[in-house]
Amino acid sequence: MDFFPFLVTQCLNALSQAALLFFLGVGLTLIFGIMRIVNFAHGSFYMLGAFIGYSVARGTGSFWAGLVLSPLIAGGFGTAFEIGLLRRLYRRDASAFLMVTFGLTLVLGEVVRLLWGVQGLQLQLPTALAGIVFLFDEPFPVYRLFLIGAGAVVAIAIWQFLERTRLGLLIRATSQNAEMVQALGVDVNLVRSGIFGVGCGLAALGGVLAAPMVTASLGMAANAIVDAFVIVIIGGMGSFPGSLCAALLVAFVQVFGTYYFPDFAIAAMYLLMLLVLVIRPGGLLGKEA
Amino acid sequence: MGNWRLFFLAAIVLAAAPLGLPLFAMTLLTEALILGLLAMSLDLMVGYTRMISFGHAAAYGLGAYTCGFLALHTAMPLPFSLLAAALLAGVVAIGVGWVCTMATGISFSMLTLAFAQLLYALAFKWTSVTGASDGLAGIPRRAGPFGMTVLETRNGYYYLVLASMLGGFALCRSLVNSPFGAVLRGIRENEAKTLSLGYNTRLYKISVVTISFALGGLAGALYAPFAGFANTDLLFWLFSGQVLIMVIVGGQGTLVGPILGAAFFMLVEHVLSAYTDAWALFFGLIFIGFVMFALEGIWRILTSRLPARSRA
Repeated sequence: MDFFPFLVTQCLNALSQAALLFFLGVGLTLIFGIMRIVNFAHGSFYMLGAFIGYSVARGTGSFWAGLVLSPLIAGGFGTAFEIGLLRRLYRRDASAFLMVTFGLTLVLGEVVRLLWGVQGLQLQLPTALAGIVFLFDEPFPVYRLFLIGAGAVVAIAIWQFLERTRLGLLIRATSQNAEMVQALGVDVNLVRSGIFGVGCGLAALGGVLAAPMVTASLGMAANAIVDAFVIVIIGGMGSFPGSLCAALLVAFVQVFGTYYFPDFAIAAMYLLMLLVLVIRPGGLLGKEA
Repeated sequence: MGNWRLFFLAAIVLAAAPLGLPLFAMTLLTEALILGLLAMSLDLMVGYTRMISFGHAAAYGLGAYTCGFLALHTAMPLPFSLLAAALLAGVVAIGVGWVCTMATGISFSMLTLAFAQLLYALAFKWTSVTGASDGLAGIPRRAGPFGMTVLETRNGYYYLVLASMLGGFALCRSLVNSPFGAVLRGIRENEAKTLSLGYNTRLYKISVVTISFALGGLAGALYAPFAGFANTDLLFWLFSGQVLIMVIVGGQGTLVGPILGAAFFMLVEHVLSAYTDAWALFFGLIFIGFVMFALEGIWRILTSRLPARSRA
């Protein structure tokens, strides 16, 4: 294989991987940045998204229905969890959230196992996305191109939403000083519930999008949560552009690391994280910790 | 000295346990004591210094793999293998502590998680030492030095575990009641203030990580010959979370509490799994309940009903 086509396909691979990691990390970083909550159950929502997406797609016969409905259902569940439990903990220190959401991780893992079983489930792609295209005479899956597109669209949408809309302004204000926003007559609790739901929904969206490639399985949550934390920590906790940069960085390290040093690929991500933290303890774009 | 009286009473009851308990209960109790030692070691960090480590499985796994490797590949007597495992965990912890204490709060938790995952990844890849995904199997219970074959028996091993646990408890207890422990509590309540009083808090934090890992490593080292295997599950983050559950449910910052928490965990797992295979579901709910409504934990709930004299 020539070097140039190889480089192009590997870069596209890395970009599609980055899109998946971005979906995983951005919800977590939004939730942390605005609510100061470390959502340990984030990986479980990712997994839940994949399974719900699978069932909806089977039930309706449409991948697109699963793609749209699954994040909404998972997001709704996240909002309900925030209203039911997390809201009572705002006076406590941050570790209480970590522990409650860890408990939720156990519960969701079992619920998924009881409802869907331990077998991995393969989400079928619609024919429009299932094929391959030839780039410089090298075959490349259409679905990976779709992932890159979806990642770009969502990233731009979130960015525009936070920067350009009134609601985005309120959300950024809440992350700066929630009490002041409350005093201005905004229902901060509503903003928080919404953000928690949106964050969980984004994780679920990542789950549905990943399902056709990795099969929906119980192991998804365990791997996803660690990946998500790595992205958020490298990028800087609570930084939206940081999570985007981190997703790209980690994806490129993973893809090229797997190619050149297959034995160390699994450790590369953690080493990268330690390296970033030693140089910048707050993460690439975070505030100094 | 109501506390020490209670300590000796508990020691005598536990020492007499093999006389009255059936075999399966002894197995459960042995494992509960091993996990109790692990949870207690984590309590030094979580309860006394407010360093919420999410990677304590690293200490346990390190100890288990070290002891298992020594038992399989050398003729080292068991007590020396245990010490070697604890020592190795402690030495690794100096490095882990040095890096992780660069951060505080949630970032510290995440760093410890990353370290444990790094070891987890390493255990998968370093096949010649760790046996990769199969782990180490058939780890023998080696006799002690001078032909102490008693350690190979079930009850003999129980006494070894009990002695380690009680020794660990006495050590932790003295530690938290010493000036060193006072500085740890100072860090827990207000690190900036403790620092301004002239204490090198970073050094204290690295020390407590080291001690905590060494004891956790000892627990892991005890587990490997007890179970006869060591695998990557022992290093996985889920296990770290479970140990943290034991500490919180039992009562952080009490030393006794986490031991009870570990026993409670074992008991709940055992009882629930007899009725339902979804025991983790109920355990998750119980844990959420404890964090929401009873953060003081089992031990403080129990002792608050006793006369004030014997309170911890």
